Amino acid sequence: MSNNRISNQIRRLRFENGEMTQQQLADKAGVTRQTIIAIEAGKYAPSLTLAFRIARTFGVKVEDVFRYENEDA
Amino acid sequence: MNRLQKSAWFNLVVVTGVFPIAALGLFLMARTNAKGIDYLIIFLVFGSLAGLGGYLLLRKKGFEAGFDEREKTIYKRAFEWATIALMLFLCCACIIPFFVLGGGNSVRVLYLPVIFLSTLWVGQFVHSAAVLIQCALEAEDEQ
Repeated sequence: MSNNRISNQIRRLRFENGEMTQQQLADKAGVTRQTIIAIEAGKYAPSLTLAFRIARTFGVKVEDVFRYENEDA
Repeated sequence: MNRLQKSAWFNLVVVTGVFPIAALGLFLMARTNAKGIDYLIIFLVFGSLAGLGGYLLLRKKGFEAGFDEREKTIYKRAFEWATIALMLFLCCACIIPFFVLGGGNSVRVLYLPVIFLSTLWVGQFVHSAAVLIQCALEAEDEQ
């Protein structure tokens, strides 16, 4: 059975963007802070739309924020 | 407490509060032993009042409109649990009397709306509880 996971660089990007708080990112992405916490911790995989919104908030490409990892590969 | 939790608590309180009132209404109707058109008039009056009250409350709060995608996922999962609980309850409510009383016996008509209301209550209760449990588990993970 394959074990797929989406890792992210949100924490690093937040700090690189003037130590943006989770609440600020949540407001800009249009979600709750709990959702950002869950995504950052890898407990929730966001939709494509939200992934793009987060990437746009940081001014980077989606693949710079999220990375698909397959442990079987 | 986020909007989803507030919504779940609201539903839990409203549903738990409304159930005894509905039970009292049924009890009173059963005592007066009204039939046909009398029942229909009582149902229409109470149904219109409940509908108006619900509309005013939900219009003011606008709960579900503000959920984000993760909250909607939690909401949908809770809905699945509620559906399972609802079906189990309905199954038990209909099948157990059959085994206990036997196929040749009869059940008072009063029990039909009781089963209907109880099923609705179980569904809503499990839904609200499932939302609150999922939110509590997530909050625990955050710590």
